[in-house]
Amino acid sequence: MDFVTLGGNLLGTIPLGDIVLYVNPFNLFLFAVLLGFTVLIAVSKPETQVEAAKFNTLDNAQVKVDEKEFRQRRFLSIICGLASAGAMITGDLFNFTLFMALVGILNIGIVSAVKQTSVLNSAFNYGLIAMMCSLPLFGGASIILASTGTLSLAVLSQMPASPMVVFGAILMLIGILGESGVAPFFASKAEMFRTPGSPFIVIIHLSSLFIIVRAVEILLLVLW
Amino acid sequence: MVFIPPFVPETFLTMYMPAIYAGLIVGFIGTMAIAMKREEIHILILTDLVGLAMIFVVSAVGTDLAEALILPGLVVELAETLAISEILITREMRKIEQDPRANLTRSSSMFPQAFSLDMEIMTTAPNFIALVLIGYGIFLTGFTGGAVAGGGIVLYAISKKARGLPVLLLDGIAGVSGISWCLWIIGFLLFFVAPQFWVLSLFLAACGLLLKVASKVGLIGLLMREDIDKE
Repeated sequence: MDFVTLGGNLLGTIPLGDIVLYVNPFNLFLFAVLLGFTVLIAVSKPETQVEAAKFNTLDNAQVKVDEKEFRQRRFLSIICGLASAGAMITGDLFNFTLFMALVGILNIGIVSAVKQTSVLNSAFNYGLIAMMCSLPLFGGASIILASTGTLSLAVLSQMPASPMVVFGAILMLIGILGESGVAPFFASKAEMFRTPGSPFIVIIHLSSLFIIVRAVEILLLVLW
Repeated sequence: MVFIPPFVPETFLTMYMPAIYAGLIVGFIGTMAIAMKREEIHILILTDLVGLAMIFVVSAVGTDLAEALILPGLVVELAETLAISEILITREMRKIEQDPRANLTRSSSMFPQAFSLDMEIMTTAPNFIALVLIGYGIFLTGFTGGAVAGGGIVLYAISKKARGLPVLLLDGIAGVSGISWCLWIIGFLLFFVAPQFWVLSLFLAACGLLLKVASKVGLIGLLMREDIDKE
């Protein structure tokens, strides 16, 4: 499918050697929204969480995030926001997969310093799934490269899809589903949120949402 | 559309499909093995195997563009392994923090009475052997050196733990990991910026690799302890 029919009028292209970035309203909007969220996260303070009282005491236990952990988390969240913003605007298939993998690593990194062992356990399991899914993700992209000879989305959208390209696109879809922690592997990712420090935890959720939307666009471009 | 230069032999072109199948089959075997094994350290190593299958599939393309894609793929793979290892280390630290006695083994003595071997060689020899191993590993550099030095670290940790002393290597391993990463990156950058210093950059990369393998072997030793205690 042509990217003009999907994303609106072509506003311009940014040629960077082989990689040609194309700018249309759809991608620009996603990019701007994610940058806005990243700025919001960069200036906000972490929230504290109140856990329910235990059986024998009446006072609630307050869970706080200490200074060092807060700094690390804010830094990683900002990088995560920038990486997902990059995935929104990129015009290169392999760059998209790299941004995707980077978001996966940063999602693990954001929760890596929490105190709850259950959260660390689920982060470990999510990381294993993300690592296994890098095989279909990168493999699918490389199969598309091998059967068409290009990675530029602008060129790929003009080509008819051969059976090999369809196979590569299906592999890529499996990789994206696993790497962003949706579809069959949601349990470990959902457990990762059970920790204080909400504005930084939310970027884990937000980045996967946006990347799924962009992945749908890319798969439509490649297949039709 | 696809441009294949005329001097590429037919054999190389026919190798593409077998290479892709090999990669996918290796990945499948790896995931099957992960489904069967339950120890965390085995799962971590087997996940690395699935990651290597990814390199198979990418490198099967065999063009210069694919060569440019292998490196980021490899770096992403290494970064994910590092991130997961850090998660495991943090979890171990939290567990030890909550219950310091959990670090020690719950095995009983085979002697009926309290029995202490008060010999100097029991305290000094393991340290000395560990030191020799680490020194020899540094002399070897690279992958083999990393394995030897890692063995030295494991020996040191085990000998310290046998005497009931707390093993506080976890923090150090995380730091060493970062330093070796920096060495590797600096060596790589220098290779492109100033090719005349190739010996220096090669040694920087080799030392980085040494530290990396050593820290990883050390981590395996520390995790193995937990898995053995479980049984």
